Amino acid sequence: MANDDERTGSKPMQPGAGQGIDPKLLELLVCPVTKSTLDYDAVHQELISRAAHLAYPIRDGIPIMLPEEARRLEE
Amino acid sequence: MADKTDLSMMTRIYAKWAPVYDMLYGRLLRPGREAATREALACGRDILEVGVGTGLSLPGYPEGYRVVGVDLSKPMLDRAAEKIERLGLKSVTGLAVMDACRLGFADACFDAVVGQYVITLVPDAEAALDEFARVCKPGGDIVLVNKIGAEKGFVAFLERIAAPIARRVGLSSEFQLARIRNWASKAGFAVSSVRRVGVAGFYTVVRLTDRRTERAEAKAA
Repeated sequence: MANDDERTGSKPMQPGAGQGIDPKLLELLVCPVTKSTLDYDAVHQELISRAAHLAYPIRDGIPIMLPEEARRLEE
Repeated sequence: MADKTDLSMMTRIYAKWAPVYDMLYGRLLRPGREAATREALACGRDILEVGVGTGLSLPGYPEGYRVVGVDLSKPMLDRAAEKIERLGLKSVTGLAVMDACRLGFADACFDAVVGQYVITLVPDAEAALDEFARVCKPGGDIVLVNKIGAEKGFVAFLERIAAPIARRVGLSSEFQLARIRNWASKAGFAVSSVRRVGVAGFYTVVRLTDRRTERAEAKAA
């Protein structure tokens, strides 16, 4: 936990991840529409909801959990 | 259910206000905010702040707490992120853009869900409260701060936009409280405290405690 706290403060850059997102936040997030789990795409900075066929963008390290702002995934 | 036009209009308005929000409302809304934080601190370590805005309440959480802040407005959250960085706030796990009526959190994540001035600003208060209850851990708390009787200024302006005229009749403090109590009794929450704070009790801080398990057990017995 102490390590996590330090990481939150310093926001390390992960390769290709742009701005880091706290793993503890990722654990809490689900799709706001289906409440199902999400896959984190660190390269494209998106949170993928397979159940809703939506990709929620992460902008400046802030997940945008609105279906209106999400990218529709092709079937 | 939130309709999309409402939501995008609110988003645009918040974006415009973000740069001046702290200056105008930092002090005005402070008593209610501080009272809510005090309540939340006593509830446990995992806190969700709904309507966290520019993060004015965040410095109130000492190290050791794990606070997540959500808001409908990304520009407001950008300000909050600046604040977290500048003040080195270690208690904040992260921020996310969310609609209070459709939270993107798993069930039972938080010891306390704090709703700062959101109940009168969402199209469907009960839907938001249902979501707060869902993400609340068993035995956890919902802490609501409302500014009662806002007739002028930004909050009143937002309330006018958020709620159609017919519904605004219900914005009086008694009605708001009755509505919250009514929801709580249906949802299995107990109203554990109602505090009036600030000059002339301008703000109400209502704490609702989860009694869902006890109620289910009583029913089963």
